[in-house]
Amino acid sequence: MIVLTPLRKFTFPVNAECINPDVFQGKDTAEIANLTVFEGNKQKKLSELFKIQEDGAESPTITINGDVSEVRRIGVGMKNGEIVINGNVGMHLGEKMAGGKITVNGDACQWAGGSMKKGLIEIHGNAGDYLASPYRGSTAGMKGGKIVVDGDVGSDSGAYLHGGLIKIKGNNVGQFLGFHMSDGVIHVEKNASTRLGANMTGGKIIVSGYVEEVMPSFTIDSVKPKVKVDDTESVAGPFYVFLGDLAEKGTGKLFVSKANNPHLKTYEKFL
Amino acid sequence: MSIVKSVTCPICGCLCDDIELTVENNEVVKVKNGCAICESKFIGYRGEHRIKTPLMRKNGKLVPVSMNEAVHAAAEVLANSTYPILYGWSSTSSEAQRVGVELTEEVGGIMDNTAVVCHGPSILGVQEVGIPTCTLGQIRHRADLIIYWGCDPWSAHPRHLERYTSFTEGRFEKSEWKAYMQKLKAQAGQKKMQSAMRIESGRTQLRPQTCSIPGMPQTMSKDGRKLIVIDVRKTMSAEMADYYIQVEPNKDYELMQALRVLVRDGELDVDKVAGVPVEYLKQVADALVNCEFGVIFFGMGLTQTAGKFRNVEVAISLVRDLNMRTKFSIMPMRGHFNVTGANVVSAWQTGYPYGVDFSLGYPRYNPGETTCMDVLLREENDASLVIAADPGANFPKKAIENMVKHPLIVIDPHMNATSMLGDIVFPSAFVGIEVEGTAYRMDHVPLPLKKVVEPPKGILSDEEILTKILAQVKLIKSKKTAKKAEA
Repeated sequence: MIVLTPLRKFTFPVNAECINPDVFQGKDTAEIANLTVFEGNKQKKLSELFKIQEDGAESPTITINGDVSEVRRIGVGMKNGEIVINGNVGMHLGEKMAGGKITVNGDACQWAGGSMKKGLIEIHGNAGDYLASPYRGSTAGMKGGKIVVDGDVGSDSGAYLHGGLIKIKGNNVGQFLGFHMSDGVIHVEKNASTRLGANMTGGKIIVSGYVEEVMPSFTIDSVKPKVKVDDTESVAGPFYVFLGDLAEKGTGKLFVSKANNPHLKTYEKFL
Repeated sequence: MSIVKSVTCPICGCLCDDIELTVENNEVVKVKNGCAICESKFIGYRGEHRIKTPLMRKNGKLVPVSMNEAVHAAAEVLANSTYPILYGWSSTSSEAQRVGVELTEEVGGIMDNTAVVCHGPSILGVQEVGIPTCTLGQIRHRADLIIYWGCDPWSAHPRHLERYTSFTEGRFEKSEWKAYMQKLKAQAGQKKMQSAMRIESGRTQLRPQTCSIPGMPQTMSKDGRKLIVIDVRKTMSAEMADYYIQVEPNKDYELMQALRVLVRDGELDVDKVAGVPVEYLKQVADALVNCEFGVIFFGMGLTQTAGKFRNVEVAISLVRDLNMRTKFSIMPMRGHFNVTGANVVSAWQTGYPYGVDFSLGYPRYNPGETTCMDVLLREENDASLVIAADPGANFPKKAIENMVKHPLIVIDPHMNATSMLGDIVFPSAFVGIEVEGTAYRMDHVPLPLKKVVEPPKGILSDEEILTKILAQVKLIKSKKTAKKAEA
């Protein structure tokens, strides 16, 4: 097990794709110290930025103690192992990850878990914009795995979702949640913002709290007493069920709590 | 005295190339064909704010220095920086922009142009769904339905209507000018009648809401080209529209998505979208579907309001849907005269249109991560070069505060807000007046800019200044590598 501690506060962006259990596996501390990172446009060794310590455990686990909010691309494409970050972490955390687990005891920046395929990301603070969303212009969103965020989430999260589960427990969620999603589940335990599920063609978004408005391109389908989140969990309602997005001829489902959204009662005349 | 014909105007993205200038004693004395903004630039460019020599900040004050000293200092700053920003590029020639890309690559910085605070979201939208577009000539001759969404060409692109859209006499489409004049007369009569009715009823009506009554727009439909204006307020352009949709602020996305459903013959569960009755939207959707060739022009009202690039994306999706029923195009109303060129040059040289990061040695692009505004707000930069733009006047306070914390190099003809904050200031010649070059019109058509007068003595063009700095940076870098090799 490797413990990394930042030697100072970073002001320039640090690109550290090498902080990855797959890369660290089979290397001793000297080899790990020699791995290349970029601070701004200056190429450096990992040991110039981090104190690297090893403790006895065999598992390919990395612990980072301290604020690494300027360190980007940690755990990109990781297939197994575990990363624990005790502090805030920078952009592109666990992008395209295909297995393993990342735990953040702090906030995560934009594109956390972008396009991930498998594995688990737990963020105990807030997450930035584009959580689980793909790179600009790409339609390859998250395909599988699970992301749990205890705090708030920024805008455009879960865009182009193709599978997997995103659970959001915070009070604030940015707009365009689940944009153009085609499969998978997003569960918002509290309130959600506007433009929920815009352009979605499949999958489901469950909101247990308040929603200011539902996009005009959604049509009401029914009222359901409860809804399934995954194989092990279901949420009790009742929920208004909206179908959409009609502008994309979509059949995505939007479950919105009936009790917390009395202003959506006007839709009941179409039932 | 000499008359120079077919001069291209270096102001806005319209790049009108029919300007006639009268030049006397190396000064422009008369401007023909141009709009008010064009005239004020060609007549007023030699103002009192012109910088005459390179300046450097010494003991807190900008003092005149030699060109050599300034170039050396600027090159030192850039060559030794870790994460420099090279921002601006929109009011200069594509030739200078090309040198800029090489300089940015050499110093491993970020090259960003003014699109980042303007039509950058349009580019992101295009990258999501593509863009069906055409040249302005096509629109002039063939378009029979024009939509201006979130922009006011009457005020911001004054000759757009007259040269390319409604008021121009195209080969297959007639000018709407006559009809507009008739409409104005009819409206004046209507207003008189309304005021008579108000006096009669003893009530004063505060603001006539255009779309408050379903199916009753306060506009007169005309034969020929249709003009639709969608804006949050009734602008000058909206006054002459056939349909005017007053959308609630920040609700453009909902409106467009609803229009998409209507264009697909779908039904909506709501009565009003973004404050507009669905009945009225149905009429507009009919007009959209029944035209032969329509075009949407959009401005900051879409790109810089809630939703940003998603607004543009949905606008393009609407155009895509309309193309299943008729022919439709879409085009952003670009601001600076060569901001399109900045995108084109950057894309041609690096693969990406703006916000290109060379810090890892190869170009990377991810707006939000590599765009200069975000870098400034996260306080990651350690030096800046600003050319042909004035962020000092329009960036958020926090961004500018951070920009001036570190060395700031400015290349500009004027002593503007950014030059006053600069540490090293280079005076440059006006592109399109004192230097020739190439600029790209908003429809990506490259046009030549003319040199009509000589620049003041000792004043170089942006391209020449950048070339000098680049040569010096290369020299410093080669010395550094030689030292390393020795060690």
